[in-house]
Formats: sequence, C-alpha cells, structure tokens
Amino acid sequence: MACFEHASPALKEILLRLYRGERAIDADHHLHEFGSVDYYIQSLVSDPDHTYLSISTPILSQAFLISTRLSRYTIEKVKAISAEVVEIVEPPKEGYQLTLRLNFARMPRGKESIKTITDIAAVQGVILSSQLEEMLMNVNSQDVAQGMYKPIKLVYHPREPFYIIKQPQKITAVFPMRFKEKTDVIIATTFFQELMDVANSKACAKAPHCIWSPIPPPELRGEAIEDLSTNGGFVSFDITSRHIEGKRLDKTVWNLLNFYAFVKNHVKSTRGFIQRRMRTCLKSLVEVLKKTGLQDDQQIKEVKGYKRKKLVNFTKFMILSYRSDFTSKLKRIRSRLKIHGFSRFRRKWLTFPNFSSKTKYRKMEKDISLQHN
Amino acid sequence: MANSLRLYLTCIRNTLEAAMCLQNFPCQEVERHNKPEVELKTSPELLLNPVTICRSEAEKCLIETSINSLRISLKVKQSDELENILTKKFLRFLSMRAEAFQVLRRKPVQGYDISFLITNYHCEDMQKQKLIDFIVQFMEDIDKEISELKLSVNTRGRLVATEFLKQFI
Repeated sequence: MACFEHASPALKEILLRLYRGERAIDADHHLHEFGSVDYYIQSLVSDPDHTYLSISTPILSQAFLISTRLSRYTIEKVKAISAEVVEIVEPPKEGYQLTLRLNFARMPRGKESIKTITDIAAVQGVILSSQLEEMLMNVNSQDVAQGMYKPIKLVYHPREPFYIIKQPQKITAVFPMRFKEKTDVIIATTFFQELMDVANSKACAKAPHCIWSPIPPPELRGEAIEDLSTNGGFVSFDITSRHIEGKRLDKTVWNLLNFYAFVKNHVKSTRGFIQRRMRTCLKSLVEVLKKTGLQDDQQIKEVKGYKRKKLVNFTKFMILSYRSDFTSKLKRIRSRLKIHGFSRFRRKWLTFPNFSSKTKYRKMEKDISLQHN
Repeated sequence: MANSLRLYLTCIRNTLEAAMCLQNFPCQEVERHNKPEVELKTSPELLLNPVTICRSEAEKCLIETSINSLRISLKVKQSDELENILTKKFLRFLSMRAEAFQVLRRKPVQGYDISFLITNYHCEDMQKQKLIDFIVQFMEDIDKEISELKLSVNTRGRLVATEFLKQFI
C-alpha cells in the first residue's frame, strides 16, 4: 500500500469517464498497481447499463484464510459500498478474486455520484482493511490459549511483511523495517525514537504503546531468519480494545496498513528538506566569497555605469509641437523684408568706408582695386 | 559562540594570517610550468612545516604552507550517526560544487572532511583578509548549519510522530 488515499486514482478516473460518457462504448482496461494489485474494467455496447470491475489482490495472510476466496465479512463490507450500484458476480472472472457489476443507471445524481465512484475505486483498500479488521476484532476472544502467541505474517507487499501477534487483552503489530540506503536508515531511526518518546508522553497516553528495538522482539522467535534480518530494526504497536471501538477500527487498520508508506514518505520528505537547506547555505557561502575580491571593481562599475538623469518627462507629442513652434519662430526672425531701393540706400549711406592703416598688413588685391577706382 | 570555539577560530585565523604570504614561483622541475608546491611537494625547501590545530580529537584543522600555495583541511565534529550522515552529505554537496568556491578542493585530504587550496593567484585576485574571513566564516557556518539541520530533523520527526499517533486517538 503505497498510497495514503483509500481510492485508486487511476481506477476512479476510468470509472468516472465511463459514467460520464453519453454513448456506450466497448472498453477493456487492465490496471496494475503497486506490483501486486490487478484491476480489469469491462464495458460492452451490448450491455450499456452495466460495467464489470474485476479485482485481484494478494491475500493478507495465507495462514489466516482457508481458501483464496474472500471471507464473508469482506464480501459484506464490499456490498456495503453501495447496495444499489454494486452487485457481486458469482463466480468471479477467472484469475480474479472478486467481480463487481456496476449499474450506473441507478447511480445517485450530483455530487453523490462522485462519492459513490470514489468508494468503488477504494474497493482494494476495503478488502485489505476488512481482512485486518477481522483479526483485530478478535482481540478479546477466548480462543487464544494463554502462552501460545503464534505470530501471523501479513504480506500485502512482498518486500514489506508485518506480523500480528494475538495476546490476552491486546494485539501486537510488529513491523520489521528495511531500507535501501544508510541515510534512510538513520533518518528513520531518528523518527522511530521520536515516535517512541511521543507514544510514551502524556499527550498521547491514549495512543497505542510503541516500542522500537534494533533486535527482533521475543514474540517473533522461531520465524524465518530472512524475515528477521533488518537494517532499520523492529517497530511494535500494542493495539488494545479501545483502539478498535466503532469508527476507530477503520482508522487503526488503515494506519497499520499504511505505516510503511508513512515512514518512507517521511524519510523522502526529510531528505528533500535537507537538500533544500544545503542549497540555501551554499548560496550564502558563495555570496561571502564573492565579496572577497570585488570591492574595488564595484567602485569602478559605479563610475562607469553613471547615467544622466532626466529632469522633466516630455511626451513625444509635446516635443514635436515645441520643435515646430521653435523652427517657425526662427524662420520668422531670419526672413528678410524686401523694400524697393533699400539695398542701394544701404550701399551708399550705411557702409563703413575703408581706412588704411600704416601698422597693419593690407591685402594687395584691395589696394590694386582702389588704384583702379 | 562558545568560548572554546572562539579560541579555536582565533587560533586558525592567526595561523592563516601568518601563513598566507604567497608569491609567484615557477616550478623547479618543469620549465614554463607553475604548479602549487603544496600539492606536488617536489622541493622540500619550498615547503613550510604543516600546522595542526585541534579543538578535540574529532575536530581539527591542518594548515600546510608552501611558497606559492596554501592547503587548509578541516575535520568537522560528528558526535552521533545523524551528525555524521549530515556532515558527510553536506560536505559532499559542497565539494561537488567546488567550482562555485574557486578555493575549494574537490577531494579532501585523507583523514579530513573538506580541504581548501589557496594559490598566489587567488591572493592576487582576492583580498587576503577577506579570504581568511571567508575560511573562518565557512567553519562557523558549517558547524551552525549541521546543528540546525540535526535539530530540524528531530523536530520534524517529533511532529510527524505526533500526527501519526493522533490518528489512533
């Protein structure tokens, strides 16, 4: 179980698409989830009212269930999803443990329809949970002989088995923890120690008692050595009757089934957090180093980068109109007034006569022209 | 800052100030080559005595000096497994990005966690005093960052554990 949501997102998407489709179409969908869960969704044009959903999921414990078929309790739980829409087909399709006939015509309208489809998509979670619920409900049963606490191995993922040990007044769930990398082991170990501290604190006095130990607990004596060889130790939860009362049963079961996924998610997010912190620190250290040699250069850059500031902002239109006014004024000033005979008058009366100077240099040409005159 | 740490850093600062008198010096073995003598160690007359400054057995600093280069190697304190893994991860992360630092060595000297190599060219490009400041601040920041990371990982773990157990109540 590597998904915190009850419903399978892919299955929900397919069912919603089939439900919303206006025309009936032939559809065959095969889905494989978490390496061990198979879904087969079939919809036929010849039977437009019905869609068939078959599911194959690993049995939680071979020791607990006599046959590969689902127990009566599990069947009841599946029926309870939606009595009107869901119908169990007997016998199931070959290769699958359960086949459901979904009648979309009877589906409630509006938001209720989406809720119902989400519940149907969570059928695998219902099957797994109901199997564990059955075991937990027998906490106080008298059939457990005192002194004989045989552990039940539960395998919902081949690499992540865990054990349930029935004891008087309580059930102990033991999780052997395995991780691929040493970093993961250390982060997870830190988490387990915190988990143990919090479980023993007053704030979580009502939560199940939790113990983490690097060596297998004595209850697991006699189990196969490959199951007991771990690098992350063993986490045990003591489930008492108060944890499985009423609605708490569902939550307890779901938490136990998701414990591996929860720990792995925590480890992954912590690694991401460390990486982010390291990146931030790298940036700040590089900034410090940059300051070591750039002080003089910065001053030079400041001088080079000097720009004259605009004092007043003019629009383009204003500039053009101002320019045209100015040029017209200039033209007016420079334009000559033409008065008839004025040029002759100016030549005669307004020109200065040429005086010869003894000290200054005189041009020969002018002298010659004067002589001619 | 703890008093012992301040003394340790002051000692390193003073030693670096004394050691960072580097000059251009061509290689005596190969013509037209200029190599950091502290790395090659071809001519003993160009090397000074290495100095080791220890705060404790687990936390020390090695300063090796030559005529044209200086090598500083640091060993960071790792008191438990979490600190050990955080230090290794962090210093490896920095070493992988050595080009951003210019003076950082890609591989630390054996027995140390991280090494710096400062040549005379670095001293020409950067201000000597600020380069020393950087080394000292680097040491301070690494210590601080690892302590904070450890604290954050523990706090995150506690919060997640509380949230998980609350679901049973």
